[in-house]
Amino acid sequence: MHVARACLLNQAPLRIMTTAGGTLLLDVKELSMSFKTSAGWLSVTRDVSFSIKPGERVGLVGESGCGKTVTGLSIMKLLPLDTTCLTGEIWFQGRNLQALPEREMRLVRGRDIGMIFQEPMSALDPVFTVGHQIAEAYTSHFTCSRAEARERALIALESVGIPLPSRRCDEFPHQLSGGMRQRVMIALALICKPKLLIADEPTTALDVTVQAQIIELLCDLSEKSGTALLFVTHDLGVVAETCNRILTMYAGEIIEDGPVDSALATPLHPYTSGLLRSLPRLTERRARLSSIPGRVPPAGLMPSGCRFSPRCNYMAARCEQEQVLTVVADDLLRKVRCHRYDELNLPGAIQ
Amino acid sequence: MSASVHAGRGEEIIRVNDLRILFPTGKRRETVKAVDGVSFSVMRGETLGIIGESGSGKTTIGRALVALVSPTDGEILYDGVSLASLSSRDLRERRRDFQIVFQDPNAALNPRLKILDSVMEPLQIIGGHDKAYYRRCSLEALNRVGLPCEFAERYPHQLSGGQKQRVNIARVLTVRPRVIVCDEVVAALDVSIRGDILNLFADLQSEFGLTYIFITHDLSVVAHISDRVAVTYLGRFMEVGGTDEVTNKPLHPYSEALMSAEPVPLPSYMRKTKRLQLRGEIPSPIDPPSGCRFRTRCPYSQQRCEFEIPKLRELRPGHWVACHLATTDGSPSELPAIFVPTNQPSQ
Repeated sequence: MHVARACLLNQAPLRIMTTAGGTLLLDVKELSMSFKTSAGWLSVTRDVSFSIKPGERVGLVGESGCGKTVTGLSIMKLLPLDTTCLTGEIWFQGRNLQALPEREMRLVRGRDIGMIFQEPMSALDPVFTVGHQIAEAYTSHFTCSRAEARERALIALESVGIPLPSRRCDEFPHQLSGGMRQRVMIALALICKPKLLIADEPTTALDVTVQAQIIELLCDLSEKSGTALLFVTHDLGVVAETCNRILTMYAGEIIEDGPVDSALATPLHPYTSGLLRSLPRLTERRARLSSIPGRVPPAGLMPSGCRFSPRCNYMAARCEQEQVLTVVADDLLRKVRCHRYDELNLPGAIQ
Repeated sequence: MSASVHAGRGEEIIRVNDLRILFPTGKRRETVKAVDGVSFSVMRGETLGIIGESGSGKTTIGRALVALVSPTDGEILYDGVSLASLSSRDLRERRRDFQIVFQDPNAALNPRLKILDSVMEPLQIIGGHDKAYYRRCSLEALNRVGLPCEFAERYPHQLSGGQKQRVNIARVLTVRPRVIVCDEVVAALDVSIRGDILNLFADLQSEFGLTYIFITHDLSVVAHISDRVAVTYLGRFMEVGGTDEVTNKPLHPYSEALMSAEPVPLPSYMRKTKRLQLRGEIPSPIDPPSGCRFRTRCPYSQQRCEFEIPKLRELRPGHWVACHLATTDGSPSELPAIFVPTNQPSQ
């Protein structure tokens, strides 16, 4: 009984989180997720812990099937309740979202945390004008007149660099190009001025020249309004140009966490190093490209001990033991999940 | 255009003369100008990379090269023989010489056929041998791309994306082609295995003396694998030249913009700080801009660019560029004083 009460107190709304670096905006603690399948519960992510400071831009990278997208979705609690089992804590602005009832979660979604998806065409409703959809995002959180909502939608469209917003406002998604649609998505996600924006592969479907524009826009908006960014992507180049910090995920676990510059220059985990070395850009022209042998193990068939060990060139006997994300002794900003990180000297983005 | 346009060195295997491909839109007198006057040659054993944004016509060029779309105008010659002049029977005979590998490895395989049956299919279509021979050739090809025999009896859903792409490559190899058009072959694959597939392409090229047309939007891939690069924009070539020349010292403002837009996975202190940003997006190929197609997004565009279509000029040996303002010294961005940007990017 006392334990239960202690738990309740622990989750009181006004818990203040501090670390050496100041107040945290988002603090995910030991988040584990399982999906219900015909073969029983399958563990998808395990002990995912990371934090985001206000205004920080964090990149979440990994191959497909590593659990990047579900991690983003779980913060928004957008996964179906009846087939997902979520344990752990998601502290956001002093509240544990994980314990928040759905009704209150609806007030957080879209207002305090915004989200952008990969494919803007399927994320926008084809039968409403973009202006209507942006205004709706605002009126579902704040009371205002229709005229005011439209005015705000126009300002939002203008702030994301859409020419002639008053005309575009009354157009339908199919009348816009891919880049324009993604700008509309950003306007929609930012109209309530969220503290955190989760962007799931926002530029993957776009051309490089448009991608460069969207990256610049996201960085600009984040700097101006102090919105923190969780950038889910597989493209290390995009992370290098957008983010301050990089989280590498592999097989449902975070395996490396650290500032972008140091992670790119001197990766500590063999997987991060392998990802970097397999980029053609960093290899001499016509030389052999390196790759990571094998593939991400499917959920349910995870190797014991280090999950990367079957694909790792540096595997040793002790890699069969479990390991945790540990703070690096000589660089307290970095964390890594590898037994051998201090004895390996792994190649990074610089030759 | 003269016959030697954009030729590399060596024996010519493909020549494309003033290729035009228009698609009807359903409205009268309105056409999508997917490819609008493209000429080039490909030498035996070389890799020509074609890059461009979506809508630039690069895939249509690739499909035309393997006779999957017929040109509205212009001609495609293999060893001096025009594809259009062949009877459908002769065309079928010759098709084995030029094959294509598609972007999406899932969509390219029939989910209801075993891998072996998919790989055998092209041989069976050509015919002339018994089934045991097809089987042997197919297993050999699968083996060559790094898939052991047990994969032959599996179905596509049991394979990973990279393995499926290997199957597609094996299928093409069975008929011993001379030219392979690779249309975004690694775009759907994870970065960790892209290297493997690109290495495989390089190995096969040296082993079988293959000629590749490598179509991609990914600059780092093109720069890695190609001998020469053609930059397309709205159905035309903007620049053609050796890979190192085009990627390191592009002459066309569009190529320059493409190179600078590519995100670089280097720490911030090693990246160039300023980038040439292109505003807006590629215009509709239904109604492309007059004169230079790129002028609506070009920061250096002048009045002349509106009225006069720039021709491809050979500014450096083997390096062709279609820009009025480019000189042997470099692209317009390097010209001081006289060419102050008049069309500053703004919205």
